[in-house]
Amino acid sequence: MSLTRLLARRMALGAVQVFGVVTIVFLLTEALPGDAAVVIAGDAPDPERIAQLRAALGLDDPLGQRYIRWWGELLRGDLGTSLVSGRPVADTLRAGLAPTALLAGVTFLLLPPLATMLGVAAARRPGSVVDRLISSVSLGFYSVPEFASAILLISLFALQLSLLPANALGVSDLLAQPSVLVLPVAVLLIRPLCSVSRLVRAGLVDARQSDYARHLGRIGLSERRITWAHALPTSGAPAVQQVARAVDWLLGGVIVVEAVFVIPGLGTTLVDAVGTRDVPVVQGLAVFFGLVTVVVNVVADAVSYRMNPAAVTL
Amino acid sequence: MIGVEDLTVRLDDRTVVGPISFAARPGEVIALVGESGSGKTTTGLAVMGEFPSGASVAGVVRSDPRRIGYVPQHPGTVLTPSRRVGSLLREVARVRGRAGTESVARAVARAHLDPALLRRFPHQLSGGQQQRAVFALALIGDPDCLVVDEPTTGQDPGHRDALAAELESLREGGTAIILLSHDLALVRRLADDTLVLRLGAVVEQGRDLWAHPREPYTRQLIEAGLGEPPAGRTAAAPTSSPVLRVDRLTAGYGRRGDPVLDEVDLLLERGSALTVRGPSGAGKSTLARCLAGLHQPHGGELRLAGRVTPWAVRARTSADRALVQYVFQDARAAFDPFRPIGAQVIRPVVNLRGDGRAAVAAKLADVAGQVGLEPDHLARRVSQLSGGELQRAALVRALLTRPDVLICDEITTGLDAVTREVVLDLLERMVDGGMALVIITHENRVVRRFADRVLSLELPGLVYAAAQTPSSLPLGSVKWNRRPPGNS
Repeated sequence: MSLTRLLARRMALGAVQVFGVVTIVFLLTEALPGDAAVVIAGDAPDPERIAQLRAALGLDDPLGQRYIRWWGELLRGDLGTSLVSGRPVADTLRAGLAPTALLAGVTFLLLPPLATMLGVAAARRPGSVVDRLISSVSLGFYSVPEFASAILLISLFALQLSLLPANALGVSDLLAQPSVLVLPVAVLLIRPLCSVSRLVRAGLVDARQSDYARHLGRIGLSERRITWAHALPTSGAPAVQQVARAVDWLLGGVIVVEAVFVIPGLGTTLVDAVGTRDVPVVQGLAVFFGLVTVVVNVVADAVSYRMNPAAVTL
Repeated sequence: MIGVEDLTVRLDDRTVVGPISFAARPGEVIALVGESGSGKTTTGLAVMGEFPSGASVAGVVRSDPRRIGYVPQHPGTVLTPSRRVGSLLREVARVRGRAGTESVARAVARAHLDPALLRRFPHQLSGGQQQRAVFALALIGDPDCLVVDEPTTGQDPGHRDALAAELESLREGGTAIILLSHDLALVRRLADDTLVLRLGAVVEQGRDLWAHPREPYTRQLIEAGLGEPPAGRTAAAPTSSPVLRVDRLTAGYGRRGDPVLDEVDLLLERGSALTVRGPSGAGKSTLARCLAGLHQPHGGELRLAGRVTPWAVRARTSADRALVQYVFQDARAAFDPFRPIGAQVIRPVVNLRGDGRAAVAAKLADVAGQVGLEPDHLARRVSQLSGGELQRAALVRALLTRPDVLICDEITTGLDAVTREVVLDLLERMVDGGMALVIITHENRVVRRFADRVLSLELPGLVYAAAQTPSSLPLGSVKWNRRPPGNS
């Protein structure tokens, strides 16, 4: 199977997945008690006013009709209007996107190289002190939830040592003051780093004992070449898939991290929207997260295929 | 020059090989022959300076591994799966200080590897093509010595001759060759000095043991390997109960290009054997994989015992899966490396036929004994068994499920002459007992024994019409021989 063909099939599958996500988001919102009319009516729920609002918002239309309308609006890029601020949902998302993209992006850039280096270092001599140290420390860190590690890191680096700012309160441009990014990125990085590096190590340990690695050693290739040019690409597919999963996780992890470090990103937007029952914003975010997840996984499949075509099947 | 003096390799108080001594001078071929498990590969690796982990080694090995090309027995596993063959060859050329395409091109030509295949990944090559790629890898940098482990395994006769001729020309060019093989015809043609190994010990060594073997074991080996094969089976009388029928099977890889198999028709009766042969890449394994449901064909219809059956193995019922069993060319890859062989061997019959473990265990000892596998073998893991022992275990696994159709893909190539005859005898008894056999082979000896019907596949584009076609079968890409070839 060629790369183009794999991509075509994966993208077709991705389209189906996006369709499913959008549908599920719509149905879940339907299942919520109350609706937009109730929220807008606010603290004084007058049944008559709620009925008027329902008619005005088209909420009395049959389910199918509203579903089709929801799709029509989505395809035009119209995610609806926030019930709380009255601004278009798309604008609300755009405002929160920049800080989140920055956090997730920096974390994502650091993750693959760091995880690969840790994994390769641990796999060099399986069972050695270095291996055991990396493996046990990463397992330990992996079991610490991010809100706990965030508080630990703040109390150590911000309060005790006063090296880094404790939060981004009052910082308008995160890039202008990169030091505020260090702790949030570290918190986001810890858990995916541990899981990905463990997969890199496991794959590499197996691959280095394989017949081809031994044969290349016999031929005279250096251990370094065998590791980086042969064993790593061949065994790397699970780690690549784990990186893709880490991106999904980053979107969720961002919520806690943004809350702890007071960064006005998508996570904050989501928490606020849920708190105020701003349904269109929640819907918009769910669709956006779903879309990102699907795209990231298609890219991960393409990368896995490029590394080792024999390991990828559809 | 390679020198081995009184080499003994012991593992867990068991002598794997030795004491063994030989010397390979430039332009000489030293052959090590013997059953699977006799210590040939251990000796070959010792020359490369490699020993099983935990082995205690005594004796002297004089060699420079950097100047030796090694061609292992299982070529499929030593090519990096994630690298194109050409890129791998160029990288090795660089490492060996032979940069440039010229040294790669020469090695590729000497190994008879089609340069068009350099763009492919190892999993896109047939077993024979993979071995030629590994051969090319070994020839890069013009080594002083080649250690070649079972080079003719899985090769079609045309390439086998070419390979023998190439080994001869290498020898004339001054390369020493250490040949580990049970292909006695090849050994007799090439070897200057021959060592006969059995259970690690040297039974006999000499330059002229073909004409005057001193030891009974050597005689037995030569008799089985080079003597006249038993007369071919007489074709079973056609019965009215076909166990397997295939109509217009068309199969290939990818959408582009010609199909490998183009409208092949097959009819297998109870107690009959079909031999499939043809050059590497002609679609022998593809045909077998389609029958077993492991490859989805583009078109065609399959009937098992008269019922139309889906191609895909996942869509077949347990009973239908038990009916068609497959023994693979690479037996090592067909077992889980972490569990004892015995537990894996009884798995299919327990799963597919629902037999009780106790009943199967009793049957297992019997069937395993028929191919010379002891309970001790069955308790071991993959890494503790030789290629031939694994091949026999795979056969036992298939036979235990009492299949109607048994597909054997080059299963004799990993076996020494004595064991091969034992296995073929067993297969013949099974066929006489009513099983239908599909046997893929390059070996003329095997063809002669199971030549009720011979299907000769040609490379796509060259299709032979039938010479004699049974009336029930339309003309197709099938060559039918009622008489064994050469036995007119």
